[in-house]
Amino acid sequence: MPTSTITIPVPSADDEPGSPAIPSPSSGAADDVRSPTEPPSGARYRRPLTPWRAVRDVARSGELLRALTTREYRARYTQTVLGMTWAVITPVLLMVAFVVFVQRAITVDTQGQPYALFAYLGLLPWAFFSTSLSRGGTILVLESSLLNKVRCPREVFPLSTVAVAAIDFAVSCGVLALLFLGFRTLPSAQIVWVPVILLVQIAFTLGLVFVTAILVVYVRDVGQAIPLLLQFGLFATPVAYGIDAIPDGIRSLYAAINPLVGVISAYRSCLLFGEPPPWNVFGPSAASAVVWLVGGYVLFKRFEGGIADVA
Amino acid sequence: MSPDRSSGSTTGSSGATAPPRPGELLVDGAWKRFRGDRRARSLMREGPAGLRRKRGYRWALRDIQIHVAPGEAVGLVGSNGSGKSTLLKLLTQVMDPYAGTVRVGGSVGALIEIQAGLHPELTGRDNVFLYGAFLGIPRVEVARHFDEIVAFAEIDAAIDRQVKFYSSGMKMRLSFAVAATLEPDVLLVDEVLAVGDASFQQRCLDRLRRSIDDGTSLVFVSHDLAAVQSITERTVWLDQGTVHTDGTTADVLGAYRRAVEERARSGEQVGPLRVRFDGARGPDATLPTGGRPVELSLTISTDVARRGALILGVSDGPPSPIVVVRREVDLPAESTTATVTLHDLPLGRGRYAVWVAFHDTTGDELLAWRPLADIDVGGSDLDAPPPGVSRQAPVHVAADWRIGS
Repeated sequence: MPTSTITIPVPSADDEPGSPAIPSPSSGAADDVRSPTEPPSGARYRRPLTPWRAVRDVARSGELLRALTTREYRARYTQTVLGMTWAVITPVLLMVAFVVFVQRAITVDTQGQPYALFAYLGLLPWAFFSTSLSRGGTILVLESSLLNKVRCPREVFPLSTVAVAAIDFAVSCGVLALLFLGFRTLPSAQIVWVPVILLVQIAFTLGLVFVTAILVVYVRDVGQAIPLLLQFGLFATPVAYGIDAIPDGIRSLYAAINPLVGVISAYRSCLLFGEPPPWNVFGPSAASAVVWLVGGYVLFKRFEGGIADVA
Repeated sequence: MSPDRSSGSTTGSSGATAPPRPGELLVDGAWKRFRGDRRARSLMREGPAGLRRKRGYRWALRDIQIHVAPGEAVGLVGSNGSGKSTLLKLLTQVMDPYAGTVRVGGSVGALIEIQAGLHPELTGRDNVFLYGAFLGIPRVEVARHFDEIVAFAEIDAAIDRQVKFYSSGMKMRLSFAVAATLEPDVLLVDEVLAVGDASFQQRCLDRLRRSIDDGTSLVFVSHDLAAVQSITERTVWLDQGTVHTDGTTADVLGAYRRAVEERARSGEQVGPLRVRFDGARGPDATLPTGGRPVELSLTISTDVARRGALILGVSDGPPSPIVVVRREVDLPAESTTATVTLHDLPLGRGRYAVWVAFHDTTGDELLAWRPLADIDVGGSDLDAPPPGVSRQAPVHVAADWRIGS
């Protein structure tokens, strides 16, 4: 019995042109000859990382940042009945909880001002921080499918989450104005400091969001830890209580470690007590916030090149 | 949009060179590696040693050298895992190479998956503007093209519907319409057209061709070789992470098709049937010629007597044949020769593959559909279809023309 299998026929005539040699599909050995198995040393690609380039990248993504922020905002509130009211409900409800429960349990020195205002002034920056971190910390992982397809400066994603939190912040500031009216209190002339405090608040939040966002990509455990850290932070920050609860000796150090301490006390000083920001607390916080922002951004840019490899 | 918006930079020993022009793609000695696979890294199970354990690497791309000029259309073919998608990710610059440089001039539109850049919670309208922002195109510019996009995507009233309620065809049409209509300097298309229906596919190809004529560079990845053929003049064949061949589409696809068939044929022939091709002959033992009869002969060997259908086909490469003949046969437990004469072989000049299969009466596949051999066919050349048509007309029919009144 013939056991021959398949043979390729050889055309008898050789008058047919146009039949080039058949290259072998899996010529492993030939490949090795043609190309080395390792790139030449010195050819390593290094993503350029200069401040000028980073600033230019961000400046050019203004349009994208706006589109992403709008998207984030619309996507969050579509198909909800209350819509943007949710931005107000969260801090107001927490304030009510503080007034009803915390105020009964501990005595807080509000220098004679209503506790509701005092607490709300702490809750505003806290809500901004908490919203930014909980969403922004995981944004790169959540958007990994997009990050794998579209080229853009990666920082627009954390930036957009902070921008969304800023919109919420602005809305709840409207409620703050109503509260001031309701309590027939007027902010003092020290209100001029508010933009500076706001900048410090944003700088620290942004810095921490940058660090967290990029860390979560490489170490997913960090993402799991974020809600825990936020709960911890609510107690570790003078939101429900005042700065005087922190011992005098470590106040500056504590404000440097947790810049929200300086931010919240500065808001209360300027808006509620009619005093300039407490520099022994706000100073270290501001310095620390700048370090967070610069350091966080550098860290982010340093590792953003590998996001698509692992995400 | 500014021309150097997404330009990379020069590194290493290559020194400073001019930035790429808009639409230019310069891949120089690019290497890419991924971490080797790991088993679950768990502190609980392995202790600190598990975290320190080194993992190997696998090279996805090795020493890739491809230059694409502005307005050039380049096909990218290769088997699964040959590095096509990784290369596209380097070109979109969502990934950095390990070594070498990848420089892309101008804005890059990537159609890598149907939903690239579409956000399910937003309406089609919002998504159009968002996508434009990703391409770096100003809002006013997008607004100017908006009606054109909606018309091309055939979305109409659904444009204000959330994208999560779109069918996959609608999503694909919308993202294609945005990317193609906004005419970025570079378009990267990866196997997305497969989702659309045939008429939309054809319109996409037409649109792509127009963009190319307007100066957009195109890198087109597809397993649909006919589509690659219809839209590109140059094709790069990737094999195991290296450039196997880079040449004219006709040459590269021809070689690629033959290699694919070769591979299918060289696969171990298991099963109860063995088939040998004994050749194709025209009348008087000449070479097969289009428009004339041709005789195909084969020998089938089996250990036990079989009854079933012998199916023989002729294809210009892919498994879908141009011509099929089928015959119920009784095979005794030995070798049987089978010869079939096709009257008026309707093929143009070129190289074709003979495919074969054998199914027994119960429908069992005793021999799976496989390429058996190549045959060269002489005769007239096929006339070319209009540009952009994804299927070459494969059949040759003798035609008489009468033109004029």
